[in-house]
Amino acid sequence: MTGTTRRTVQRRNFLKALTAGAVVTPFGLSLASCAAGGSGPSEGGGGGGATGAVTDTNPFGVAADSTVEAIIFDGGYGTDYASFAANLLQENQDGVTVDVTGSTQIAQQMQPRFVGGNPPDLLDNSGANAIGISTIAAQLEDLQEVIDAVNTEGTPIADTLYPNVLGVGQFDGRLVAINYVLTVYALWYSQTLFDANGWTAPQTWDDALALGAAAQEQGKYLFTWGREAASYFLTMALDSAIKEGGDEVRLQMANLQADAWSGEAITGVLAAMEQVVANGYMRPGGAGTQFTQAQAQWSQAQEALLYPSGSWIENEMADATADDFQMTGAPAPTVTADAALPYAAINNTPNEPFAVPSQGANAAGGKEMLRVMLSPETATEFARTKLASTIVAGTIPEDAFGSTALAAQVSMLEAAGTDTFNYNFVATYGMTADVNVLWNSFLSGDSDAAALAEGMQALFDRIREDDSVEKVEVS
Amino acid sequence: MAGAVAAGRRRRGASSSTPSPAPSRPGARGRRLSFDRVSLMVVFLGLPFAFYVVMVLYPFTQATYYSVTAWTGFSPEQPFVGLDNYVRLAGDAQFLNSLGNSLTLLVVVPAVTLVLSFALACVLTFGGSTAGAVRGLRGTAFYRVVSFFPYVVPAIVIGIIWSQVYNPSNGLLNGLLVGVGLDGFTDFAWLGQASTAMAATIAVIVWAFVGFYMVLFVAAIQNIDPELFEAARLDGAGRVRTALSIALPGIAGSVRTAYVYMGILALDAFVYMQALNPTGGPESSTLVVTQQVFTTAFAQGQFGIACAMGVVLAVVTLVFVGLVFGVARLLGVRGGARA
Repeated sequence: MTGTTRRTVQRRNFLKALTAGAVVTPFGLSLASCAAGGSGPSEGGGGGGATGAVTDTNPFGVAADSTVEAIIFDGGYGTDYASFAANLLQENQDGVTVDVTGSTQIAQQMQPRFVGGNPPDLLDNSGANAIGISTIAAQLEDLQEVIDAVNTEGTPIADTLYPNVLGVGQFDGRLVAINYVLTVYALWYSQTLFDANGWTAPQTWDDALALGAAAQEQGKYLFTWGREAASYFLTMALDSAIKEGGDEVRLQMANLQADAWSGEAITGVLAAMEQVVANGYMRPGGAGTQFTQAQAQWSQAQEALLYPSGSWIENEMADATADDFQMTGAPAPTVTADAALPYAAINNTPNEPFAVPSQGANAAGGKEMLRVMLSPETATEFARTKLASTIVAGTIPEDAFGSTALAAQVSMLEAAGTDTFNYNFVATYGMTADVNVLWNSFLSGDSDAAALAEGMQALFDRIREDDSVEKVEVS
Repeated sequence: MAGAVAAGRRRRGASSSTPSPAPSRPGARGRRLSFDRVSLMVVFLGLPFAFYVVMVLYPFTQATYYSVTAWTGFSPEQPFVGLDNYVRLAGDAQFLNSLGNSLTLLVVVPAVTLVLSFALACVLTFGGSTAGAVRGLRGTAFYRVVSFFPYVVPAIVIGIIWSQVYNPSNGLLNGLLVGVGLDGFTDFAWLGQASTAMAATIAVIVWAFVGFYMVLFVAAIQNIDPELFEAARLDGAGRVRTALSIALPGIAGSVRTAYVYMGILALDAFVYMQALNPTGGPESSTLVVTQQVFTTAFAQGQFGIACAMGVVLAVVTLVFVGLVFGVARLLGVRGGARA
């Protein structure tokens, strides 16, 4: 081997190592860099794009012949409801065209556009890849203007909404997102199955334990769960604790307070749930089961009686629900009979946050699109085709378009009246992944109530004490 | 282009008397910038290098810069924070856990895959009958094709198939185990128990690659002079001894290359992890750095920290590659040409 060839080989090895290392692994690295794009304009201020004359039928002054770009999360609700609204808008406003684009990768696709200063005019920031909204809140328009405007029939929009549906879109006193779909969180079950066995939905955790025993006699379980959706049980536990201890519990949780997980209300709920697990009322294997399969164990195979979820569940499981499964919802159980809030109280956190970026080319158009979506015509169309309610009240007829689940939602909302509450901190701080880890262990029986509370508190503490995370003060 | 090729051909003809494969004779190493020399450099050196700079070095540098900022990823502001992100990562239990998991994969996945591949390759090339010529098992061609199948299937599909196999209630694996009377595996959540999730995941990655590397090693072993195998057998070497003393040294270069590739794949593992353990596994036991990078960047809007994680991973990768080459050098492994 001569000196020359040795050197060549070394150099080649070095280059090879460098290339291999650089090209293949730092997946996230190149991912992040590709997305950086240009540096964009510094600060737009109050709403981008040219505007036209403000009139009664054009309250935000959408410029004639302009284009509105709407990015809609293409998930359980699809995008056709947005296209429906787009058509109405195009009829109402002179020469305005609306481009509706579906997306399931909201954060990935929108990230370079926010950085580059050319975000869309309307964004449905939803789904598993939604942007943590606190990171873009400062770049979004205050939508109070839309709520204060009149709808297409001339009624002020504020007067047409269900109570307490705007709070989750508030950041620092500004309404940066309007959550369009009213989600009622409940315990879902088959009325048919319950009637056949003479069961009723549990009103307290003691009732739940009794129901679990009855289910066990028939070889069924009380609950089932899936690994990605273990956090639904967090929602149920929080709902239960808030009803037990009142609004104070909600504030402690939503503001990630230092002693949030040692309060009497939440400890009581967790103790009861620990009992459910210990008695074998959870269908085993959930931590290794994909969530839609777990849900089918409830809706198709009927191996479990109850499933805690949002009201999207009917639509989500439409193809995997047994015949004659009259899906009905009941409020979360309370710990004791004399809880702070009545049993009928429900969590009605609306979902599908719609936001209008300030730097969009046609912010007025984005707001106008929202105004049309909040019109009775579009809202009713949404309820009819999606069998789910928007935040606009009174759009669902007596027969609820033949959906027992939708009818149950309406009756739960009516029974609750103003005893509704909501919170959104899990999504706000992107906590779902960490929450799922803790709850999967708890529901499997691998940890207990004390370990769960400790883990949740540690998670809260970590986020609260992290200065780089923008906090949202909830009141 | 055509002119350059023709000229090259002419020159090779002219210097056919020298053994050197270099395009020009050693004596003619003067820096004469003839047209075909320049065009060759532009096409074969300049373009790839420019591509490399734009597609590899530039993003690499850019990400390294982001890693010292508190960029959220969604605004143009990139406040400089120095090494804060790295300090933070050093004390972040979740990140250290995912780094540990990535390193576990790095150690276990290549080792298991390559040992299995090598064993199978030996069986297929010289593990057959001891009578007559040295040959592999009967039906070798069939085994080669069958075991290559998984490699043809996209990673995401493999992940989805296996997440069904591992399904606790109606998956194939528990079905088989319960079927043979092991009732303890009823509803056993392979991917839902901290004690089994990582092993079950590693098994899938190994399954996906073992056939490919087997075929690679078969080809490499067939390059070894068959007389060596004949001689070893005449000297009384058994199959294991033949594998370790003849086949392994003979294909050391291929093994080293395979080790680097498998190691880099193990450090990534993103697709398999997202398909099998989208939540990071029970007790975060299968959470890997690439998943952490993804959620930190997109779900939590902390691109600066995500880039710092990426840089740490890149450094780990380079150290790993350096170690493999270094160890190979100490062991005197040659055969760089096969890499």
